[in-house]
Amino acid sequence: MKKRKTFDIIFDILNYTFMIILVIFSLYPFINTIAVSFNAGMDTIKGGIYIWPRVWTLENYKAVFESGTVFHAFFVSVARTLLSVSLGLFLTSLIAYVLSRKEFIFRKQITAVFVFTMYFNAGLIPNYFLIKNLGLINNFAVYVIPGLVNAFNMIVIRTYIRGLPESLVESAKIDGASEFKIFLRIILPLCKPVLATVGLFIAVGSWNSWFDTFLYASSRQNLSTLQYELMKLLSASMMKNASSAMAAGGVNAQEMSAKLVTPVSLRAAITIVAATPILLVYPFLQKHFVTGLVVGSVKE
Amino acid sequence: MKKMKVFVWGLAVLVLLSSGIVGCKKTGDSDNKADSHITQSDDGSKPEAVTFTVFTGEPGQQYAKDNKIYKLIEEKLGVKFEFEFQVGDLDQKLGVMVASGDYPDIIHGSSSADKLIKAGAFLPMQDMITDETPKLKKHIEPYINKIKEREDGNIYIIPNYGRYYGEDSGTWYGGPAFWIQKAVLKEFDYPEIKTLDEYFDIIKRYKEKYPEIEGQPTIGFEVLCYDWRSFCLKNAPAQLAGYPNDGGIIVNPDTYAASIYANTDIAKTYYKKLNAAYNDGLIKPETFVRNYDEYLAVLSSGAVLGMFDQGWQFEKAANSLIAQDRIERTYAPLPIVLDESITPYYRDRPPLNINRGYGISVDCENPKRFVKLLDTFLSEEWQKIFAWGIEGEDYLVDDNGIFYRTEEQRANSEDPSWKLSNKAEALFGNLPKIEGTFSDGNATTPVNQPDEYFATLKPLDQEILNHYGIKSYPQMLGKAPENPKYYPAWQISLGNGTDAAVAEQKIGEVQVKYLPTLIMDSVENFDTVWEEYLARYHKINIKAYEDKVNEGIQWRINNW
Amino acid sequence: MKEGAASHQSVPQRPRDRKYSWDAIKKQKELILMSIPFCIYIFIFSYLPIWGWSMAFQNYRLGKSFFEQEWAGLKHFKLLFLDEGFGRVIRNTVAMSFINLVLGFATAIILALLLNELKNRLFKRTVQTISYLPHFLSWVIAAGIVSSVLSSDGIVNDLLMKLNIIDKPVLWLSVGKYFWGVVGVSTVWKELGWNTIIYLGAMSAIDPTLYEAAAVDGVGRLRKMWHITLPGIKPTVIILLIMSIGRLLEAGFEVQYLLGRGMTMDWAETIDIFALNYGIKIGNYSLGTAAGIFKSIVSIILIFLANGLAKKIGEERLI
Repeated sequence: MKKRKTFDIIFDILNYTFMIILVIFSLYPFINTIAVSFNAGMDTIKGGIYIWPRVWTLENYKAVFESGTVFHAFFVSVARTLLSVSLGLFLTSLIAYVLSRKEFIFRKQITAVFVFTMYFNAGLIPNYFLIKNLGLINNFAVYVIPGLVNAFNMIVIRTYIRGLPESLVESAKIDGASEFKIFLRIILPLCKPVLATVGLFIAVGSWNSWFDTFLYASSRQNLSTLQYELMKLLSASMMKNASSAMAAGGVNAQEMSAKLVTPVSLRAAITIVAATPILLVYPFLQKHFVTGLVVGSVKE
Repeated sequence: MKKMKVFVWGLAVLVLLSSGIVGCKKTGDSDNKADSHITQSDDGSKPEAVTFTVFTGEPGQQYAKDNKIYKLIEEKLGVKFEFEFQVGDLDQKLGVMVASGDYPDIIHGSSSADKLIKAGAFLPMQDMITDETPKLKKHIEPYINKIKEREDGNIYIIPNYGRYYGEDSGTWYGGPAFWIQKAVLKEFDYPEIKTLDEYFDIIKRYKEKYPEIEGQPTIGFEVLCYDWRSFCLKNAPAQLAGYPNDGGIIVNPDTYAASIYANTDIAKTYYKKLNAAYNDGLIKPETFVRNYDEYLAVLSSGAVLGMFDQGWQFEKAANSLIAQDRIERTYAPLPIVLDESITPYYRDRPPLNINRGYGISVDCENPKRFVKLLDTFLSEEWQKIFAWGIEGEDYLVDDNGIFYRTEEQRANSEDPSWKLSNKAEALFGNLPKIEGTFSDGNATTPVNQPDEYFATLKPLDQEILNHYGIKSYPQMLGKAPENPKYYPAWQISLGNGTDAAVAEQKIGEVQVKYLPTLIMDSVENFDTVWEEYLARYHKINIKAYEDKVNEGIQWRINNW
Repeated sequence: MKEGAASHQSVPQRPRDRKYSWDAIKKQKELILMSIPFCIYIFIFSYLPIWGWSMAFQNYRLGKSFFEQEWAGLKHFKLLFLDEGFGRVIRNTVAMSFINLVLGFATAIILALLLNELKNRLFKRTVQTISYLPHFLSWVIAAGIVSSVLSSDGIVNDLLMKLNIIDKPVLWLSVGKYFWGVVGVSTVWKELGWNTIIYLGAMSAIDPTLYEAAAVDGVGRLRKMWHITLPGIKPTVIILLIMSIGRLLEAGFEVQYLLGRGMTMDWAETIDIFALNYGIKIGNYSLGTAAGIFKSIVSIILIFLANGLAKKIGEERLI
């Protein structure tokens, strides 16, 4: 018994030490990015910025917020994320429930049809034509509908549902509940942890995506998303340098003030601006990751 | 305050202009009066409002709503622009644009313009360029054959750069050179450095004298070989042998026969020299793993004495050094050759920027109006507005009619946010433009105005220029000879997915793979590794590449 | 309920197995009705655009309609398979995705298990949150950091020199044989926390009474992990594993592109980079599609193999 205790203590010490090392490793790149984002662009070029800015500046952030378009874009991003998560979660778990039912006769075929979609990509142009024919070009719905049900997420939820006691469904059936009702009343509430996981996946995917704006809604400013606006800023800042080259002899190496924003420093600020809102989501989801939550509620 | 100022000025300009127009109409002479150029309609009535949607195949930033130049254009010409800029991958964007056939009115295809032309995205412009658009007609006259599309003889794009009026007074050099830290020149009392041996010798002597620069170990020579920027590694031999920058090939000036040089003795001599320099400790192995950011970082540390590069590529590092007030650590270009018998050919006449500029898409409803607009914008008045700004506001004119700027005006023109409200760079960048000098002798851009340039020069720069008896750094490379007729060969398209394009890609891969190894090997091993490199190199279908380039050169010689 | 052996057509002949009978369909009409919209959806959004694969058999030219394209047969597949570098490209792709798969799975599962052992809830949540931060950095930034950490005066060389393991700095990014390892470790570092989330979610479903019972029996921690936690997440692990095996040719291109240098190209070039360099970059749009089709076919074969294997050893199956 005593041996066990000593082992536990050693284990805990090692475990905590490991976690602290992990935290350092994971935190460093982020802190480094923050430091770069607050450091003057011209100074960053010299390198050697680690965890603290050398020449403080807010210009990088000013460059992000200056045009003002990011504020509207932020709300578009929030809207698309919320809609994608709520609709996506409901629909994905619905089909996951159907495909989790072992007795369902078309289960295998439909599952296979879903699974295959993870492994092929038709290509840019056919997809564009599809979106165009569906009338989704320059339409807010293009942010939500094409990614509504995703095979990977569906499989994750299905696997989880399969792990739930089968007796739940059976007893409900004996009580004469319809399939939809069983899903809504019994299965869905039990899926909280997996819904939190998949919800996070959908949210992050939706929040981070800019490609759909780029392809399908780039000519509508009021549909622009935060990520796309930030991408625009970043590419514009890269261009500033190249364009002077194009104008061979047109631009002189003038005195640069600390005001000048470089792609590297701007990218750092953009990363922080883009990531912060979505990073705040996780801590709220974590309460759903508590062991025993599910089974506990089953017992009630 | 600012708004008020803009408003008052706008009002003033408006009154001035309208009076000018009325005056013109009375006299019936609409060409001599300066202000008349500014409006498009001949009869002085306000032209019908039109909005052009513009897609620019380069990234850019949306101008501010209160931008004074666009406002002026709208007021005077009744034209508005809606820009969309490239974000992400241009080929993807144009791919779906072409596939779907939904074009904006005006497109700047940038590096993919060729694809748009081949896909039939543009309207032929030649029939719209008539006596009604005299300035544009005159503008393209000298090079009309160069801008005709090879396959059908149509003109689709009016080049944005490369048409010079008067003297090219460029004061900044962005092209290829062997660069040397200004401190090295000063240290040895401004010597003439001509050959590769002299160049590495002076670097070596400086490094021996100063093994450290401000606490950091001195680096003799840097070679950037990251991704497509590896031309720093690849292109030097051609220039060393006295050929202009044609990319991967050299062109015999008499026969116009193009051949690759990466497998020749001129290349071998150069890499052997680098190999020796490496074993001398002048080149550090780190240089071969640096990415672009790291390259800029090491240059801005001030510890690098020299490199072969094109000026624009390390401009940011140079600016960083200037911002640190370490002018002696910035670089001057040198026209280094293999031996004294070779005449250097580094500096070229800026070639016509073929296939870069605006084209009118087949979906444009008002193509004639746009061509007319290009013509209107080619007036010196509009060119001055685009390049210099509004007189009195963005620049001043002295008693001799010379344009100049105050410190504040100069600073403004470097301020990105100021520019969004006060410049029309996105539009102007790709318009056909007057380069060189205006008819009144002023330079077409502020930075090329001699006095403006000298105002920004530092004492050390003035000292260097004085010692070499020149007025600006480009002159260190001598005068640019007349460009060969075909020049430049790197513009020649290799076609989509052709054997030539595959070969070019393979050549590049073999070079970035073998050359660093070659340089880092011992001096004794050099010849063996060189043979290995050649063996690998000759497996590539080099001929397909050379043939394609030669064919392009021949076509240009016969048709330009 | 019997499953597996019966295929769609053969069923009606066998009266014993009434799986696809009208009765069964009628009985399951609710499930069928619920799945129909999804089938339509997935057909429209994922299967309809597959006509684009025809590009692989054409010399695709932009701006031409489907009927105007010039057919090229298997030209682009030949270009891909007959290139002297193809074997190397496949080797690199499979090696890197295999390393990533093994490292990724092992580290994520171990971290999930260890996190589960943390008693202090606040600490646990903090670690979790922080560990997934690097996922939100783009590879451009992450590769920049990796490159500076591995540079000659970077922290890795400093540390190894101080520990006297090496006597002069190693240029990690210039040596081809280190490349796969660098990519593997960088990927783990960036994605570890993120990959763990799914297992933490799965662990919530484990019945706590199992732990209680084990505690009463005096079972040690490691054994609890081994006998309760791990089996609890096993179905999830197996399913994710099968899905990942299907991605064996999917090593990506971004990391390799950003960390690769000329000298390490023989180890860095993946199938995606190859398709990019010899496809879109030089105006051959069809090559990328051909590579995509090749990858899809291999994926689907692998999925069936892995799924079959899982079935054989009696584990959770994907399909």
